[in-house]
Amino acid sequence: MSATQPSDIIYGRNGVAITKRTGRGGGYRNYEVHQRERVGESTEQIKPLQLISPEHLHDPYPLLEILREHYPFYRDWLANAYWVTRYNDVTSLFADDPNYETRSKRWYYGIENFGRDLREELPVLFAQADGMDTHAEPLAVELASQFAGRDGTDLATEFAARFPLELLTRVLDIPRDDRARFVERYWRMQRGMFWDPLAQQAGRDAITELTAYFEPLLETRRSAPGNDLVSTIANLELDDGPTTAADLVATLLEGDHETLHGGLANLWFLLLTHPEQLDLVRSERRLLKHAWFETLRHSTPVLSAQRFARHEVERFGKLIPEGALIVLSAAAANRDPRIFDAPDQFRVDRRDVCQREPRGMYRADGLAAGIAFGLGRPTRHPAVPEDRPRSLYALTRDAAVTASNVMLETFHEIRLSSKAEPTLQARRIWEMHTCWKLPATLTSS
Amino acid sequence: MASIADFVSTLADDSQDPGAHKDFPLMPEGEAYDMGHAPDGTPLFDPRILDSHEFMRNPYPYYRILRDHYPVFHDKLHNTYWVTRYDDVSNCYFDDEGYNTIPKGSSSGVLGNTQLELSGIEHRRRRNLYGQHLVGQALKARVPSIQRLARQKIDDWDTIDDENVVSEKDGVRTVALGAAFANEFPIRVVCEVLGFPEEARSDFYYWYNSMMSGLGGSETHKQGLEARQHLEDYVEGIVAERRDTPTYLYDQDGKNLGKDIISKLCESKVDDDFLSTEEITSNITLIVAAGGETTRGAIMNLWYLLLQHPEQFAAIQQDDALWDAAFHETLRHSSPIGGQPRHNSFDVELQGVHVPAGSLMQMVDFSANHDERIFKNPETFNIFRDDLYSGKLLRSGYRKDGRCSHMAFGVGPHLCPGAWISHQEAVEGSRILNARLKNPRINFDKQPKDIDGKSLAPIGLISVRELHIDYDV
Repeated sequence: MSATQPSDIIYGRNGVAITKRTGRGGGYRNYEVHQRERVGESTEQIKPLQLISPEHLHDPYPLLEILREHYPFYRDWLANAYWVTRYNDVTSLFADDPNYETRSKRWYYGIENFGRDLREELPVLFAQADGMDTHAEPLAVELASQFAGRDGTDLATEFAARFPLELLTRVLDIPRDDRARFVERYWRMQRGMFWDPLAQQAGRDAITELTAYFEPLLETRRSAPGNDLVSTIANLELDDGPTTAADLVATLLEGDHETLHGGLANLWFLLLTHPEQLDLVRSERRLLKHAWFETLRHSTPVLSAQRFARHEVERFGKLIPEGALIVLSAAAANRDPRIFDAPDQFRVDRRDVCQREPRGMYRADGLAAGIAFGLGRPTRHPAVPEDRPRSLYALTRDAAVTASNVMLETFHEIRLSSKAEPTLQARRIWEMHTCWKLPATLTSS
Repeated sequence: MASIADFVSTLADDSQDPGAHKDFPLMPEGEAYDMGHAPDGTPLFDPRILDSHEFMRNPYPYYRILRDHYPVFHDKLHNTYWVTRYDDVSNCYFDDEGYNTIPKGSSSGVLGNTQLELSGIEHRRRRNLYGQHLVGQALKARVPSIQRLARQKIDDWDTIDDENVVSEKDGVRTVALGAAFANEFPIRVVCEVLGFPEEARSDFYYWYNSMMSGLGGSETHKQGLEARQHLEDYVEGIVAERRDTPTYLYDQDGKNLGKDIISKLCESKVDDDFLSTEEITSNITLIVAAGGETTRGAIMNLWYLLLQHPEQFAAIQQDDALWDAAFHETLRHSSPIGGQPRHNSFDVELQGVHVPAGSLMQMVDFSANHDERIFKNPETFNIFRDDLYSGKLLRSGYRKDGRCSHMAFGVGPHLCPGAWISHQEAVEGSRILNARLKNPRINFDKQPKDIDGKSLAPIGLISVRELHIDYDV
């Protein structure tokens, strides 16, 4: 987020106040900045419209391969963006904070000054970690007991979508009667940040409703705190004033449950469509964790992340202008054959993927990890000091593995319902790529 | 919603709006498709409409929504801020430092390093190198040759053996104004001004077409880049010759009009250095690109609109001076150029919208020209309107006594340097056409129709592609 300092209003020729300028910005650049594309640099193998086509939303990998192999730094004139698609480029730009910034979801909503993002506060991190660790297993057992004895279960919605949302309500300790309404609002808020005006309107309404909902709850828990995230935020001591409901909603907005939801759905989609891999996992349970890593690599739910150049940067033999939008494609990078052997194959016993929480530059163990942007950066504390909880990578992994393990324990056979033809799909451009229908037959142990 | 289980069951419903593509229905001209409303009644704006066919043919009701409710619209689908009000557009055009011109759209690939891309003093001194050949006395001296080229094009009609271009039946001749006149006429003028040899002109026309179609960064981009490369190779030879032996332009009587533009550019210096061949080529591509399609569009739109407003066309027959007003009103009503991209050099706040430095801000000339804050009944074509300035074009624009200049040429430092010559081409060309065409009227059967199947198709965002005119022989 760029710091904006108020400065003089400059009046236009017609007396209209148009410009409030801040110190940032390099003024205009001139002659030497321009680089002409040459014939060899033309990008005729791809049309920008393809990148927002329904086929691409369904299966982005063929087009991303063209980009990665032919135009590793692709100028997309339609979306006014640059696509970066090779693994080493994506990870290095993602970690390059001096040159590129991530803009908050509140910026996309146009409400930059709404609330404070408290995700980096230590008590918040601890409360989140405690909540997830405490509730994951009992919740999974509860869900599994509901599935037992039924004809069929849609693992995409009833398990993968429901588990993270239920978990969130427990981490926040939302009163039982309010949970369904909270989840619906939370979902609307998360979906509204991009270009769709109807979704954005619904999302804005959700933000207002959530803020109003949390105001009394926050006050209640300030005086009578419980063992939950809302209580922790209510009693947080900050230098710039006590916490408000807006802070809580901003914190919820900036975080997300997408990777846990999409990752779980994709994990079970891949296991059910690759039964031999599921058998492997059953025979050697430790592979479940690896299956999670391999899922994030092979079919990452969050396809890409947007970064903006903080100033003019020279990269890829080009001058990237200040303010330029860079689309870092995790999906393309995760299938980079320079990094991963036979990248299109889903193999839970793969030896060339990092098998620990990726740290620092995604190279713990010296092996590359699948990029999962929904989890944010790999921890900035590679050694995980004692006074910090585990990173979001580890927390999400453990929740997903715990829940999936409960499923494996409860049901000795889990297979795709006959005639089911599940697919992965992003429902809108920039939304997560995941499975929305996964009918399965579960047989209790 | 009773439970979370109920809520998640709705997620499996894939009847939800599927994504970035939407087939917007075609609406009657002037009516916007309903994209939803905020609780307070404000219409919502779906940026997908900007890529739609509906928007191409019927853009103005959508621009009206933007002007009225989102004067600076943050379009997150195209990563663009659309600036749509007249005052904002003109203010930004004047502020060369705050809203600079680099880095441009895909034209940089094809056109190269042109004036469009420069700002400040770099822009000023290069622009003056060739701008001076297109104005004032230099322009006056060219008018006779513009008239001669127009007459030649019309004389050629007698020898055209193509039913689709010129046909005759029962004393009525039908001519396709684009194919028979407007497509090539401006390019011929450009070739003449540049002093290109006669034999290169068909190549030149091909290069021009390829470059224009390659501008969109699309699959024709490569063709555009190749054409640009061929043009550069060709110009290199010409420049090499003219650096030693400048060539001159002559009028009909053989009077020397001075050096052609290329010869002048060959001897021009910036910072004590001669211009490189690449720079000269880039300037030529710009003159060609800017001087071709735009003037073509102006002529086509002018005739399309005039012939649909017979009372105004009749008035022009009485008063020859009205051609100027008709030209300007055409550019206001249906400009061939949509607008110009700018990048803000600083973090700015415009119309309450915070725009981070370096963002792409599209100045929408189309919308500024239809801003009802400036022009009454903007959708009406009226050459007699009293709020449009149609006098001599000024770089500073014109806003006085309730009259404003249109935005089709822009204003400020980047005001189209070809504005005056294209004005001469369109107006002189039209006068000559008018003298030849007896009782002209649109051949209704051959023209594309609007969605009602009856009225003529609206002009929309791209100029009229072809105009079939009947006239009495």
